[in-house]
Amino acid sequence: MSELVRRDPRKEWIARNRLHPQHLEVLAEIGGNAVATEWMGPNGLMRRNPHAVGFMGPNGIRRIDRSGASHAAHTNARSTQSQDSRRQVTINTPAFMVAVVPDMAGGRLSPHDRDLLGLARQLADADPENPGAVLAIIYGEHKENAFGEAGVDRLLSLEGEQFDGYTPENRIAALQGVDREIAPRYWLLPDSTVGGGELGRRLSVRLGERAATQVWQVEADSDSDTGWRCTTRGAAGTTDIVRALPRVVLALAECADPISETRHAAEPIELSRGLPNVLGRIEDIGEVAVDPASVSLAEAEFILSAGNGVKDWDNYHHAAEVLGATKGASRVAVDDGHMPRDRQVGATGTWVSAKVYVAVGISGAIQHLQGIQSCEKVVAINLDEGCDMVKRADLAVIGDANAILAALVTRVEQYRAEQEENRDAA
Amino acid sequence: MPPDAQSSSATGLNVAVLVSIGRHPLTARTRRADQDARAVEMALTLSGASVSLMHAGQHDSDNEEAIRGYLGMGIDEVRLLEQMPQADVVPVLTEALRASAPQLVLTGTRAETGEASGILPYLLAEALGWPVINGLAAVEKVEKGVATVLQALPRGKRRRLRVRLPAIATVDTSAPAARQSAFGPARRGEFDVQPHASEADSALTQWQIQPARKRPKRLKIVKSSSARDRFKAAAAKSDGGGGQTLNDVTPEQGAEAIFKLLREEGVLR
Amino acid sequence: MLDILLPILIFSALLLTVIGAVRRVRLWRQGRPSPVDVVGGLLKMPRRYLVDLHHIVDRDKYISKTHVATAGGFVLAALLAIIVHGFGLHSRILGWALLAATACMFTGALFVANRRRNPPARLSKGPWMRLPKSLLAFAASFFIVTLPVAGILPADFGGWLLAAVLAVGVAWGVSEMFLGMTWGGPIKHAFAGALHLAWHRRPERFSTPHNASAARSSGLKALKLDDDKAKLGVEKPADFTWNQLLGFDACVQCGRCEAMCPAFAAGQPLNPKKLIQDMVIGMRGGTDAGYYGSPYPGKPIGEHEGHPNGPIVNRAGGALVDAETLWSCTTCRACVEECPMMIEHVDAIVDMRRFLTLEHGNTPNKGAEVLDNLIATDNPGGFDPDSRLHWAADLNLPLMADKREADVLLWLGDGVFDMRNQRTLRSLIKVLRAAEVDFAVLGTEERDSGDVARRLGDEATFQTLARRNIRTMSQYRFSRIVTCDPHSFHVLKNEYGELGSADMPANYEVYHHSTFINELVKAGSLTFKEWKGGSVTYHDPCYLGRYNGEYEAPRDVLRALGIDVQEMARSGYRSRCCGGGGGAPITDIPGKQRIPDMRMEDVRATGADTVAVGCPQCTAMLEGVVEPRADIKDIAELVADALVIGQSTGKTASSKSAPQPQRTVEEVTP
Repeated sequence: MSELVRRDPRKEWIARNRLHPQHLEVLAEIGGNAVATEWMGPNGLMRRNPHAVGFMGPNGIRRIDRSGASHAAHTNARSTQSQDSRRQVTINTPAFMVAVVPDMAGGRLSPHDRDLLGLARQLADADPENPGAVLAIIYGEHKENAFGEAGVDRLLSLEGEQFDGYTPENRIAALQGVDREIAPRYWLLPDSTVGGGELGRRLSVRLGERAATQVWQVEADSDSDTGWRCTTRGAAGTTDIVRALPRVVLALAECADPISETRHAAEPIELSRGLPNVLGRIEDIGEVAVDPASVSLAEAEFILSAGNGVKDWDNYHHAAEVLGATKGASRVAVDDGHMPRDRQVGATGTWVSAKVYVAVGISGAIQHLQGIQSCEKVVAINLDEGCDMVKRADLAVIGDANAILAALVTRVEQYRAEQEENRDAA
Repeated sequence: MPPDAQSSSATGLNVAVLVSIGRHPLTARTRRADQDARAVEMALTLSGASVSLMHAGQHDSDNEEAIRGYLGMGIDEVRLLEQMPQADVVPVLTEALRASAPQLVLTGTRAETGEASGILPYLLAEALGWPVINGLAAVEKVEKGVATVLQALPRGKRRRLRVRLPAIATVDTSAPAARQSAFGPARRGEFDVQPHASEADSALTQWQIQPARKRPKRLKIVKSSSARDRFKAAAAKSDGGGGQTLNDVTPEQGAEAIFKLLREEGVLR
Repeated sequence: MLDILLPILIFSALLLTVIGAVRRVRLWRQGRPSPVDVVGGLLKMPRRYLVDLHHIVDRDKYISKTHVATAGGFVLAALLAIIVHGFGLHSRILGWALLAATACMFTGALFVANRRRNPPARLSKGPWMRLPKSLLAFAASFFIVTLPVAGILPADFGGWLLAAVLAVGVAWGVSEMFLGMTWGGPIKHAFAGALHLAWHRRPERFSTPHNASAARSSGLKALKLDDDKAKLGVEKPADFTWNQLLGFDACVQCGRCEAMCPAFAAGQPLNPKKLIQDMVIGMRGGTDAGYYGSPYPGKPIGEHEGHPNGPIVNRAGGALVDAETLWSCTTCRACVEECPMMIEHVDAIVDMRRFLTLEHGNTPNKGAEVLDNLIATDNPGGFDPDSRLHWAADLNLPLMADKREADVLLWLGDGVFDMRNQRTLRSLIKVLRAAEVDFAVLGTEERDSGDVARRLGDEATFQTLARRNIRTMSQYRFSRIVTCDPHSFHVLKNEYGELGSADMPANYEVYHHSTFINELVKAGSLTFKEWKGGSVTYHDPCYLGRYNGEYEAPRDVLRALGIDVQEMARSGYRSRCCGGGGGAPITDIPGKQRIPDMRMEDVRATGADTVAVGCPQCTAMLEGVVEPRADIKDIAELVADALVIGQSTGKTASSKSAPQPQRTVEEVTP
């Protein structure tokens, strides 16, 4: 709360004087146009008007809501105001650079990337006298517009068709160029499966550094050569290795808190030298269209799962095709021979981790619910409102599964048609 | 079954699989490492390819038991490049690969013991000057020294790559599961033990290795000026909210609600 | 003229029979060696047939009596015919005896013919339809040609036309009955069956009581794993022991096994009768085109062929038998229990499974995963072995490791990881405590008994688990083991013994909890409330009933609770499997319906509200049936619910609480 308190002694006086003709208006004004219940007295003490608290209940009795619900709007307004005033930090002459290569999955900084930038800031800002700068290196086009908020001081955007698609060789060559020219003190990459993990390992080998992988904690340590030590997971996550922080760091998600209190320049920079051209031995032919029905359940992101409540199986299969969902099934549906065994979801079948799991006519035996623990969103379509699946679901629709599926198919087909029209129009 | 489960023709291809000692996550018993076993599986499904297994490490009864797990998949022999405990196996493997010159080297993404950094394939590739690809899901075909392969992406997606051989490829859990290890072939399989000079991994001595601590769960930090808001955020149930139940709706209304959710989650394509 | 023809016919037939017999024996001798008491076995054979086996044959009264007449008549007639017509000893008395024997055989054959008029589906057709006619021809021809011998007709009656007709009749009868015996006709069963009884692989099945249904030998035989040359299971027909092959050859294709097999009824691709016939085909070489019984459900006949030294199951499929046929078996032993020829189907199936698992590494579906879990975590679910006792955190179970000795070692089994079974275990412990039993558990030292691994053919894992368990138990002193899992019960009781050693014997006295509770009830250690529940039926677990002959103790306990058990049509030794044995839920071969659903139908037919069970597998399988259905309660649960605790007042209370404070003191003092 760094804002200056501006005080108007006259208004405060009126506010104190309940007999003053303008008393109520002034109170309202001080209280931000609501009925003021609190204001600051002349000595800086908070004053409170208990009569103004609460509201008239339906039977004419004043009710006081202590849950804060009636206050929410007004306090929130104030907190958003204060959040907006994050400290702007500009580092003009950095003592060193901390390079971060975010994944930029979907063209935006992922939460993992933000954590990594938070870690980069810790490393850069450790010595307030000689702050380092955080350099983010990104490839190709992106949709992110908040690099500064995420803690980036310098932004190096590498563009060119040699970075389109899967081109680890070109990317590494470019990073090598960056290393030669800027020589960052640290290289930070997300140890993720979507790119950072691989790129980081390639980089560490190319730079001849022994990278720390699976880093989940970095602490200052005066005994270490680099002034930092890190804790990394080893042996398939069963051991912790504590070691000096090396130059190339592949960190796990939540290795540090993302930046929220400062804003940074995210000043674009460019390399003075051109990027080397590499003869690639890996050629990307593009993503393969994968039939969702054939995707193994454990990997699927959208599952339409059928249980005992499904009566019209043709309708269900049709729905799965239209929705483009991977088919799953409860044990009973498999036992009854409606679905093959490799489609069974649950503790006795496959454990799934879909983004959306639609359970059609599945009441939710404990084994089944165990198997869908790690699904993000669960939708239940069921006749029985009291069943366990409905309790688990993020969205439950009570009704005849068949009719709802049919309606959903119609709706999605309609949506597809609209999409088609739009595309044609464009 | 994923589309990449079928075997592909790779007649005359020389495939080396690097295998390590696995460790069961619960009981810590040695076993064949899951990802390495998947690599062996992938090599075995390449029809016509000749598969050789290689392990660099100690030669003791525990390790032998674990390596027999790979032999049980139907492999006759494994080359064991004998090393001291905690040796750096990169030099010896580089040398062995250079000498045996396989066209394709398969291995798991990451070991189940030791540092398990998953950098070894990259180090080998760098030392040999071969390309390396990760997350191999299937080898589609091998023609004129170029392999067409599928790389696994998250959520069951696949990317097709063409890579010039010889190459190193790593396999993770999105590759087809390894076949069962049978007792008979495991018992019969032979070890070709080749003692090699070991280079100690000096950095290891400076590290402290301890059982994994549980990582602290990140708290939802609410930066609010109001103590009540902060308290409420801290005390709120972590997975509260959600659970919306639509009762007495027409099928169309229900479908609309589901459709909205599917769109929001971006699973409709 | 007949006087000349008959001896020629008879002796040439006998000669050919002997040649056939030699060939047949050589077919059997393709199998691996297996030591038997050759002479002793032959001497015991008549008793085994007439006494031991009678109990099983007599379950089908019609055919039992028919068989006495036909077979008895035939044996007598054949011997006399050789003497009278073969050697020409035309004694009037012998003639009359021969007439009586053929008449008896003729009568029996008429009943056989009657059975064949509209045969049930389980019977094989083809040559078997010819058999009654052959029997009749044999009996009638010899009857007529013997009439002159007995002096009823003149020696030269009828002229040569009748003589020719009779000669043809005799030739037909003799070739079916004598040649068929050793050259592979339906009567083969008599020859092979008799020798099978003599040299049976499990002679213990013919010990006291002399009733093949009650004298039991059900433990699987161990593979010698330390011998590198020994075959791991059975790959080709010649890998069976010779007396197993002999046993297959004894099959009379009566189809009783087929009628009892739960997998066959569920439409899974298994028919025990066809399996045995396939083994015979494999032993001889050829296709199954000449098989006239019911096929494996969903598998047409004529597509499979085999060879004595060809694989039974090809890696790629095909060959003599499909792998899924072998994996459909629940090892419920209903076929073995029912077989009048004492054929050991389950042994054969497990032998073949052993090869599939140990050599091919081809255990289907979740099989491989379960076996990996057993190897890595000592339990099939892959749970942390250190969490074995988590369910009992509040029960303060006495550990063997602390006590070193106890009267009863309570074997908990892998049900400790299953929330449903934990309820059963809690109940059982409540009962044991109420009866003041001095018991202790192994806790985290216990491992899976190895039952599932063994039935899935993974003998190596079974032996590892068993030996480790034996080593653990050898450290402690206890007088008996009690368990609520019939599968653990069976392996501990019948299969560990073979793996023990001189310094670590593994012959335990093992009790199923129902037997043990029954003893407690009889000793008056338990008091029960009056039964107020509805009607109850009891489901016999295969591994308790058929495997170990315990049918009465659970029923006694239920009766002691005041329950009038509504028996299902198939109960006792004919109890239908729940579908949970032999790793069947793991290998999970699809069929037309599920075995537990069929069993629940049996329950429904009794109208019972509750089905009492005594096995965690049965509980799990039956509870998996979609509601509405009867409740499933373990015997231990029923007993625990009915317990009246503290009625024997002071004694119970004081002695029950006495050990506890002592313990606490011990713990506090250091």
